[in-house]
Amino acid sequence: MPRLHQLALSDEGFVFDPQTGDSFQVSTTGMVVMHSLKEGRSDEEIAQQLVTHFEVSLEEARRDCADFRGQLKNFGLD
Amino acid sequence: MKNLAIGVSGINAVDNPGPGVGVARSLKEDASLNARIIGLAYDAMEPGIYMDWVVDRSFIMPYPSGDGAAYFDRLAYIREQHGLDVIIPNFDAELPLYVKRAGELKALGIATFLPSMEQFKLRGKDKLAEVAERMGIKLPKTKVCTSLDQLHEAVEELGLPVMVKGSFYKAYAAYTSAQAVGHFHALVAEWGYPVIVQSIVSGEELNVIGVGDGAGGSLGTVGIKKISVTSLGKIWTGVTIKHQPMLDAANRFIRELKWRGPFELECIVKGDDVYLIEINPRFPAWVYFATGVGVNLPVRLVRAALGVDQPPAPDYEAGKLFVRYSYELVTDMVKFQQAVTRGEVG
Repeated sequence: MPRLHQLALSDEGFVFDPQTGDSFQVSTTGMVVMHSLKEGRSDEEIAQQLVTHFEVSLEEARRDCADFRGQLKNFGLD
Repeated sequence: MKNLAIGVSGINAVDNPGPGVGVARSLKEDASLNARIIGLAYDAMEPGIYMDWVVDRSFIMPYPSGDGAAYFDRLAYIREQHGLDVIIPNFDAELPLYVKRAGELKALGIATFLPSMEQFKLRGKDKLAEVAERMGIKLPKTKVCTSLDQLHEAVEELGLPVMVKGSFYKAYAAYTSAQAVGHFHALVAEWGYPVIVQSIVSGEELNVIGVGDGAGGSLGTVGIKKISVTSLGKIWTGVTIKHQPMLDAANRFIRELKWRGPFELECIVKGDDVYLIEINPRFPAWVYFATGVGVNLPVRLVRAALGVDQPPAPDYEAGKLFVRYSYELVTDMVKFQQAVTRGEVG
């Protein structure tokens, strides 16, 4: 199972990794991305969702999404 | 179950705490055990002596040195005067004597639940390579040194920085050859040979507490991560985790070695790779953490020691927080006086 699916994500954006005990805080945008990733949505779908939820262009949303996934990868979570 | 008198050492709940108070507290929390806790202390200043809601009666013990005759005479006296059904020794230095004399204690009617001498020796730092292989996990590159020349060769081969470790206690990081030599001499002076030199592995430091039933089965395991430690390296806050490769390794340790008794595994984890750093053949000082999440290992150990049937090991949740705290108690000087003059309190 991908590591991302094991993460516990609270309504306040507090993320806990039950495998390593690491915890971190994500922004509202990060929460939307994480929830969407856990639901198995594609990057394009997530970017569209960001456009719907926040005042942001599609191009910027795609970039933010890619950045966030890059960070998850750095932490070994994606 | 009848009222049980259970001897517990390591009731020094100080800044470098022993496991005894956590063990005693766990035993007290199981009403069916009816535990009367006998504190086995070495110093009149051990806080557990004065914590009468956890430790019912305390005795000052002679050090378990030499053949341990004085120590075991004292245990026989306690048994005769106040009863003693089970003992849970919690100090590394006590274990060899307890393991050697487990049969004699049994003849006296005192149960223990300890590894065999062969198992006990296997967890020594100079034998970890063999154990790690049997557990199917990795060991940081390790060299066992019995001379200064071997130390230099080890540092050369492993490359700096390295960990320099005593065979039973203490470990220091060395960033230069001079530091490695200094640590080597200090460790030899305090603990003798061999000295272990090990590569430093980066990753998450995770721990497992558990009890093996001696037949390859587990009486329970709990994995944790230390979130913060004191200046002495002791846990202050921690969180339960479920790192499956590490828990699997702990179960292989129990199964492969047919480990009997409590243990703590110290590991470094990098992704799914688990490196074995140390095996402690006793409960760690944070033993109450497992009790707090529903895995009361001291109680399960006592039941196993007495041959009482018990349900399979309970599970626990990841994400439970452990917070140690400071607290004070005020009592009468008479208790201190009794500890000093009579060697008994309670």
